[in-house]
Amino acid sequence: MQEKKDAMFSYQFPDGDRRLAFSRQSSFRHWDPPLPSPSPSPSPSPLLRSHSFKPYLARSDSTVGMPLLEKPGQKDATWVALILAAVRGVANGSRPMKRLALMISLNVAYSMIELLLGLFTGRVGLVSDAFHLTFGCGILTFSLFAMGISRKKPDETYTYGYKRLEVLAAFTNALFLLFLSFSLAVEALHAFMQDESEHKHYLIVSAVTNLLVNLLGVWFFRSYARVNIVYWKPEDMNYHSVCLHVLADSIRSAGLILASWFLTLGVENAEVLCLGIVSVAVFMLVLPLFKATGSILLQIAPSNIHPSAFNKCSRQIASLEEVLEVSQARFWELVPGYSIGSLSVLVKKGVHEDRILQHVNGLYNDLGIQDLTVQIDYK
Amino acid sequence: MERHNSPASASHSQVIEVNIDIDRDASSFPPISNPSPTSNNKACRGGTCDLSYSKDSPERWDSMRKLVIAVVLCIVFMTVEVIGGIKANSLAILTDAAHLLSDVAAFMISLFSLWAAGWEANPRQSYGFFRIEILGALVSIQMIWLLAGILVYEAIVRLIHDNGEVKGFLMFAVSAFGLVVNIIMALLLGHDHGHGHGHGHDHGHGHGHGHDHDHGHGHGHEHTHDHGHNHEHEHMHGHGHEHQHEDQDHEANTFPTKHQHDHSHSNDMKESLIKKGNKKPKRNINVHSAYLHVLGDSIQSVGVMVGGAVIWYKPEWKIIDLICTLIFSVIVLLTTIKMLRNILEVLMESTPREIDTTQLEKGLCAMNGVVAIHELHIWAITVGKVLLSCHVIIAPDADADRVLDEVLGYIRRDFNISHATIQIERH
Repeated sequence: MQEKKDAMFSYQFPDGDRRLAFSRQSSFRHWDPPLPSPSPSPSPSPLLRSHSFKPYLARSDSTVGMPLLEKPGQKDATWVALILAAVRGVANGSRPMKRLALMISLNVAYSMIELLLGLFTGRVGLVSDAFHLTFGCGILTFSLFAMGISRKKPDETYTYGYKRLEVLAAFTNALFLLFLSFSLAVEALHAFMQDESEHKHYLIVSAVTNLLVNLLGVWFFRSYARVNIVYWKPEDMNYHSVCLHVLADSIRSAGLILASWFLTLGVENAEVLCLGIVSVAVFMLVLPLFKATGSILLQIAPSNIHPSAFNKCSRQIASLEEVLEVSQARFWELVPGYSIGSLSVLVKKGVHEDRILQHVNGLYNDLGIQDLTVQIDYK
Repeated sequence: MERHNSPASASHSQVIEVNIDIDRDASSFPPISNPSPTSNNKACRGGTCDLSYSKDSPERWDSMRKLVIAVVLCIVFMTVEVIGGIKANSLAILTDAAHLLSDVAAFMISLFSLWAAGWEANPRQSYGFFRIEILGALVSIQMIWLLAGILVYEAIVRLIHDNGEVKGFLMFAVSAFGLVVNIIMALLLGHDHGHGHGHGHDHGHGHGHGHDHDHGHGHGHEHTHDHGHNHEHEHMHGHGHEHQHEDQDHEANTFPTKHQHDHSHSNDMKESLIKKGNKKPKRNINVHSAYLHVLGDSIQSVGVMVGGAVIWYKPEWKIIDLICTLIFSVIVLLTTIKMLRNILEVLMESTPREIDTTQLEKGLCAMNGVVAIHELHIWAITVGKVLLSCHVIIAPDADADRVLDEVLGYIRRDFNISHATIQIERH
């Protein structure tokens, strides 16, 4: 038994691992049947883990007092390596990633121009628009980052992988859009209280350009341009959030253009009206996405499975002869399409656990729970 | 589970009187000796044991009370500023009142999160509502970022409006007032729970490695960040030493190395507290995020004060104002990074920092009857509440019940993870 355990403690870490480019390094090879590990372990049994005596630190400030294994010159190369890895990641990425990168670069370039122009000519409106755009770009970059990093395999620290980041990015996008709608409402209120003395007509050009760029983005993600979507994969949420982001931005630009036009037509309070409508529209647009991402992040039970199905499963298990009680059944969604659960089963003494495990796993697999941990307690 | 040490014994090195509160969840005190087959290591009395806030209620109400006081104070100051601003017809004062309004909004979010976290778990929300705390903190931090951006924007606007309508003195006075208000609230939010330590709530777990291996320094550390309550220093030192004498069986535990490492660099109070493996986070994450918000505001007030002073003194050096604001905004953003990292890690279901996975695995594999473990997942529902799920493969002849019990006991004792689900498999 001791030799077997010693065999597990064999150090292995392939050189030139691409993941060194990212800031987190994996110190464990985790052979995980549902999610295949990146490099096969040489130890005979696939169920054994391989440990290393001198692991890379999974976290930069880990307080575990183990010696740091440093590659020469690694620290200097990190920043450059990061940027290079980012560019490479986007170049190798999926098509939506490339399109999103294109859009972000367009937006960034445009906002830089706008900011400089606003500073030199002294127009406050341009500056505020530039700021707004920059914030949006930051959030979109986070979405892009999430897309890139979600393909990484699960490692020691992130045992469930990186796909959750897509949900988080979608949530951040939705949150930003909510803030946007709120700020538009405040702007409408402001315009209502103020006189129409200085309406910024020069913003028309910027609004038109903004509209065009955002419409391009909507075209890229046109399959997601709906309010209510059923999410099958984690990328769905991310793409949907990006699409809603550009859609909301284009609605806002369109609203500004309309307001300007109405003002020239002589309609009273046009700005207030347009801004108010845009604010309400963006709010309604983003609410379902916000709720869906929020419920995943809050560990709510999988939404695509009806609660009565859980009860039915539970009762089916309890009706087995050897089973006395089913308790602590908890389920949650990691990402749309992958649900995890755990439960406790109280059985009579002496019952062999394999049969029960198989039965329970089969039942819940049919429901759609991919990852189930069953604790069998003997009475 | 709380252990109340009587204050009188703190300063002596005599036998202390330990009143252990064994409440309904008796399974949190597993016997050290070999447990009987029907041990209550696995039993979890009550439907959602430990996943509802009822045990932490005093702390929660305390935090809520502090936040409510802060909100009321904020609203009072805000109305004062609004009235003053309308009377003086100054935009600067009204802008500052708007910032106080954002403070109120942040406190409201924190209050709501605190209150909502106490809702009872239901089948749909099987882990309770603790995650709302984390999401609320995330929203708060996004607001801080937003406000920093708005402030920078305002500085740029001030730069652009070259017609000298900016009165440096007014800016200075208003932001000084705002700074005083923020400091009062920071003290309110960050100061009070120091007394919570005095009552020994934090020494909760009898077998927790929390303070045993701190050798009495740990609490000292916490209190240095707590604006230095010196009397509590001695208080805690006394406790630390006594507990060391008591729990001899944990000397062998290799955890001390981890904690000693701690002392050298725990800047963030939250981090240092969690690393001691306490059951309850000493500073609730929502109170902490509200505190961060107030701290950020005071830093920015300082920045605006500096800018106002510069403009007052030399109105042509307006660019200094912008530079100042930029620098201080960056400082504010830096203070939020640590909390943002914590939030991100919880939301990504990653292994919490305070759990040493290597040691856990080694310990488990070294147990009698355990052949291997796989699919080990450790994640936190909120900062401080950790769950674990794992598949353990045992030898064909081992007693599944006993192994399960041992494993659960080990996890509970040494890592303070009360919610573990272990699937035993045989090969």
